[in-house]
Amino acid sequence: MNLFQRALKNKQLVAGSILGAVVLLLGIFGPFFFGDYAKQDLLMGHKPVGTPGLFFGTDALGRDLAARATFGIRISLIVAVSVTAIAVIMGTLIGLIAGYVKGTLDTVISWVVDFVWGFPLILVAVLAAASIGSGLLPVILAVGMVNTVAIARVVRGEVLGISEREFVVAARAGGYSTPRIVIRHIVPNVIPVALVLSSYYVAVAIIAEASLSFVGLGAQPPLPSLGQMVSDGRNFLRLNHWEATIPGVIIFAMVLSVSLIGDGLRDLLDPRLRTAVERAASK
Amino acid sequence: MIAIVKRVLLTFLLLLLSSLAVFAAIRLSGGDVTAARLPASATAEDRELFREQIGLNKPILTQYVDYLGDVVRGDLGNSLTNNAKISSLAAEKIRNSLILGAAAIVLVFGIGIPLGMMAAFRRNSWLDTSISSASVAGMAIPNFWLALLVVWLFSSTLGWFPSAGQGGIKYLVLPSIVLAAEGIALTVRITRSAMLENLSQDFVRTLRASGLSESRIYFKHVLRSSLLPIISLAGLRVGQIVGYALVVETIFGWPGVGQILVNGVLRRDYPIVQFFSLLLVVVVTLGNLAASIGYTFANPRLRK
Amino acid sequence: MTNESSLLEIKDLSVGLRASNIAYDIVRNVSLTVNRNEILAVVGESGCGKSLTALSVLQLQASPPLFITSGSIMYGGRDLATLSKKEMRIIRGTEIAMIFQDPMSALDPMFTVGTLLTSAVHSHQSVGKDVAEKMALEALADAGIEDPKRRFDEFPFQLSGGVSQRVIIALALVNNPKLVIADEPTTALDVTVQAQILDRLKELKKDRGMSILLITHNLGVVASVADRMAVMYTGEVVETGAVSDVFDKPQHPYTTGLLGAVPRLGGAVSDLTPIIGRVPQPDELPVGCTFVDRCSRAVAQCSSIRPTLQVRGRAEVRCHNPVD
Repeated sequence: MNLFQRALKNKQLVAGSILGAVVLLLGIFGPFFFGDYAKQDLLMGHKPVGTPGLFFGTDALGRDLAARATFGIRISLIVAVSVTAIAVIMGTLIGLIAGYVKGTLDTVISWVVDFVWGFPLILVAVLAAASIGSGLLPVILAVGMVNTVAIARVVRGEVLGISEREFVVAARAGGYSTPRIVIRHIVPNVIPVALVLSSYYVAVAIIAEASLSFVGLGAQPPLPSLGQMVSDGRNFLRLNHWEATIPGVIIFAMVLSVSLIGDGLRDLLDPRLRTAVERAASK
Repeated sequence: MIAIVKRVLLTFLLLLLSSLAVFAAIRLSGGDVTAARLPASATAEDRELFREQIGLNKPILTQYVDYLGDVVRGDLGNSLTNNAKISSLAAEKIRNSLILGAAAIVLVFGIGIPLGMMAAFRRNSWLDTSISSASVAGMAIPNFWLALLVVWLFSSTLGWFPSAGQGGIKYLVLPSIVLAAEGIALTVRITRSAMLENLSQDFVRTLRASGLSESRIYFKHVLRSSLLPIISLAGLRVGQIVGYALVVETIFGWPGVGQILVNGVLRRDYPIVQFFSLLLVVVVTLGNLAASIGYTFANPRLRK
Repeated sequence: MTNESSLLEIKDLSVGLRASNIAYDIVRNVSLTVNRNEILAVVGESGCGKSLTALSVLQLQASPPLFITSGSIMYGGRDLATLSKKEMRIIRGTEIAMIFQDPMSALDPMFTVGTLLTSAVHSHQSVGKDVAEKMALEALADAGIEDPKRRFDEFPFQLSGGVSQRVIIALALVNNPKLVIADEPTTALDVTVQAQILDRLKELKKDRGMSILLITHNLGVVASVADRMAVMYTGEVVETGAVSDVFDKPQHPYTTGLLGAVPRLGGAVSDLTPIIGRVPQPDELPVGCTFVDRCSRAVAQCSSIRPTLQVRGRAEVRCHNPVD
């Protein structure tokens, strides 16, 4: 069975991908379909799901929930993916350097990495918001920094393990230059781990952004962040719970699909990765 | 032993550096303190003079040291919102957060470990599948949403528990459950996988061949080895709980450190933000340190 | 073979794999007898079922998916294969003990050697801590460990391969069993340590009147330690007999092949004769004798009729056309 066939057999991967695809499609095409997320119509407020002409109903100000929610998906995804992409690239780079070069540089990097790694993401984000003000930027910075560190940590561990293996020692004995060894031999072995880890961190980033927006520190109005929508809807639970439920369910679906994909990927690529990922996942 | 001492010293060094960084970031972005303290008619020179007198023009390192000195002496500054002395609020807020945090930790390990063990013991049974799926879901639910769900279910609909405020065990139930949720799910997963992995180890076969009973093998030997990853988790749990508490306390109106910090950031109340963020940085760092020391003692390989 | 001096009688034992769409036997109609005060070696290549046979005696096989599908394991008048888990637990360690192949991973790394030993004692008797400790130290000494007191407080990761294996032997001895099953006890060890462990096993047999069921693929080990031997191939016993007899005059063509493939001191290297062909998989066994495709003495019936185990004097052979 080649990789693709095994992938199809993996229930988690399939379920996660389907769910993720649905959400992704909603996020990409929704805003075009549902129109302006900022348009208010105070007479049409608090309409529930099932009102003719409206997909998800409206919120307190009469804004179309479907338009807002699908745009919110975009925000979450953009934040999560861009942060994770940066974190993966920078984290892998740092981890590679620390793990391969070793010595004092590695020691210093490890100290800092271990220290930052222990910090809860939300706290870092709140501190960032305290320093530079609320908005999406502190969220991106905080999430980016913590994820970079986490990935660097795991990558470094993997690199340390791999660089002791015979084929790398053999390459060095053969006189291959350092960059060549790194790129051709070490990186391909490190990529699966980084991939699985990053799926986990996309999930974490989504939750962090939503939590911060919920509390008021993330995306500012009128940007429709899903977390903030839940916060707005919270006051009207009796009146029209859909205002909070819809964005909540969407966040849950996003995180669940990403987690399932991550778990599935991990099982697929190598059961051995489980320990590395679990160590890192205990954050 | 030496390794531990080295580690402690190192941690304190980094703690100092990071608290300086946090302090600097907040102090430097502090906005115009003068706007809060001086009347609007004050001139630019007055403001400059004021800043000079307060000490805002000194090098940041000096300000940091001064601040630490103040803290040690018990002068934590005043809140910009109501000019209350932070030192008088601090104790109460800290106490409230400790109560909530302790309750959550008890739940995380008190529920997480037994459930994980049960799932491992009855692997692939319906019990295992439901526990495992619940824990996957538990980790995916953002805790603010869970909070709303829980409030809607237990408070609005069933009326069993109050949804906000303080004043007795009843008020503690919902917030601590929400705070503990993700930790429980993670603990279940790690316990289960650690136990399963250890159950298939060679040493279990040796123990069985010696005639040890299954329950002894399970509870004394397999569990002991499985606790290692859980212990290394434990300290990180402190950090995680601190993080989630920021949101949970806000939602449930629990008057703790998290709530006051978040409100402080929203209102730009810098003295409050300064003190409580530093406090949390210290708490998280110490928690992590305790965990790694605990792990070192628990693992015989590292003890010697 | 005789019943008065026999300690363990495995009769017609079959152990197989039973899972959703899989059902075949790995151990097939194995009959073995271990007598009192005797070392019986069971030899064969990897996969011939010798380890599984040994594990089944104490019901230590991974069940599911491995199950005893027929036969009996008689010990002290009872059929071990029918005992409940609780009854089995009482026998393990006190009557029959087992030592395993890889000593480095066979000891719980979180506990000291002493705790593991006293645990084994307390699982069967309620004695005081000092008594248990004394028993543990004696067992360590019997297993050939110098300075048992020091080892008592050490953790498994501090022990070398040889010492670990001795600790495992001590674990097996501490409750004074009558029979020890040793599954490839020396395979993972250095050659010099191997010799020491084997000598120790021989001495234990002598001093304690213990019997040993020794599983191995190494004929050298058999020659140096065992009294009687049984050769297994594709899950069946194909020959049994006294070690000296079998080595001198093997009766089954497979045994001949095995012995021919072992280098002897003084012999030229060109004298080695491998057995042609390969071992058939357990799920694709031929109908008649399983050795037929590799046998130089095959006759007509070999392809269609499975030979039965015949008694020939003090030996047994499963062959239609045995040597001599």
